[in-house]
Amino acid sequence: MNEDAAPAQCAPGDQHCITCGDAASVMRVLELDGDTALCADVGDVAHRVAIDLVGAVAAGDELLVHAGVAIRGLGAPA
Amino acid sequence: MRYVEEFRDAELGRALAGEIAAAVDPGRRLKLMEICGGHTHSIYKYSLDDLLPDNVELVHGPGCPVCVIPMGRVDDGIALAHTEGLIFTCFGDMLRVPGSEQTLLDAKAQGADVRVVYSPLDALRIARENPDREVVFFAIGFETTAPSTALTLRRAKAEGMTNFTCMCNHVTIVPPLRALLSSPDLRLDGFVGPGHVATVVGTRCFEFIPAEYGRPIVVSGFEPLDILQSILMLCRQLHEGRCEVENQYTRVVAADGNPLALAVMAEVFELRPHFEWRGLGSIAHSALGLSAAYREFDAERRFEVPGVSIADPRACECGEVLKGVIKPWECRVFGTACTPEHAIGTCMVSPEGACAAYYNYGRMRRPREAV
Repeated sequence: MNEDAAPAQCAPGDQHCITCGDAASVMRVLELDGDTALCADVGDVAHRVAIDLVGAVAAGDELLVHAGVAIRGLGAPA
Repeated sequence: MRYVEEFRDAELGRALAGEIAAAVDPGRRLKLMEICGGHTHSIYKYSLDDLLPDNVELVHGPGCPVCVIPMGRVDDGIALAHTEGLIFTCFGDMLRVPGSEQTLLDAKAQGADVRVVYSPLDALRIARENPDREVVFFAIGFETTAPSTALTLRRAKAEGMTNFTCMCNHVTIVPPLRALLSSPDLRLDGFVGPGHVATVVGTRCFEFIPAEYGRPIVVSGFEPLDILQSILMLCRQLHEGRCEVENQYTRVVAADGNPLALAVMAEVFELRPHFEWRGLGSIAHSALGLSAAYREFDAERRFEVPGVSIADPRACECGEVLKGVIKPWECRVFGTACTPEHAIGTCMVSPEGACAAYYNYGRMRRPREAV
């Protein structure tokens, strides 16, 4: 897995800036570290995500992430 | 990963397009506005408008945060970036937004330390790593992004950071929608609502649209099937004579939004009395400044900024595009003097801008249409 390609997230292949564009990505929680979670995105790229704003989170849960911050917990896939 | 591939199924998309065609009254022409720039981008990336019947027209709204930044604020940011020894951080799209004389990219080329960040938390990390330098984060975005700035400032305060400040340009979605809905030249039949803003603020804050202005709104996700389903829900409301807030994006959006995000925003921000919007003019209570408890983190208080209001370029018709009065290709400089490489107007800078979306996905070949 690649580790945290943060700046590239601002201008991926189709030049879509997910931060400026109000876009958010679904990511899967790999590990928890206090108020931060190590997450994998759909391309299996790892990101450190702040989880202060989504309540209790467990490894395996999915999060909706915008600008490095989870804005919604989506629970674990069935 | 859930929620991605299954929402891009071409066969289901064609089936939804057929249902939309069946739900629209043949003799009625519908103009539907997608408020969010993220929707605009998806619509043209996936050519969703080509799947719609001729009498359903999509109009692109003011929900691209880059597109609504007025030139004076860009100039203020550039002036900050040129401050000796200062590290200026911003999201990627801001680099190419034209100020009155240059862009942040030009400033960087002249030696200003301008750095792109993906998250305001990255800007805070840069401040931690450079304790002897001032670090400014240029914050833009609607309520989707504002919580990340608020959380970053809360952490900066908790850590006692003294070299980190924020130039706050966050805006709120409801006041510009009211301004649009109050416009005498408004000819819209319904709205595709911003799903990620609604993730934070909830669906209730859109109830004024049907209640006061008699237009339906469907809060929508961003994948192709999300958008097509939302258009179908709007068409059905209009066909059945209903007018309400509906939520297509139920897997993410709750009626009350995200209370933790709203709480941190309430702690860190306060409404500005007025804020200038590109193309829409000054709108009362439409933007966020830092609250009294966070004034020490306000870059506009710590540093001198020009604070001059600059008129939009005369050739640029971004304002009319943002209001949905004209289509991007009807602007006199679209695709000629104004291109993504050399943008005059902000709508051509961000890929979420209506003009850039048309330009990047070949819409400039479309014949001119009467609007």
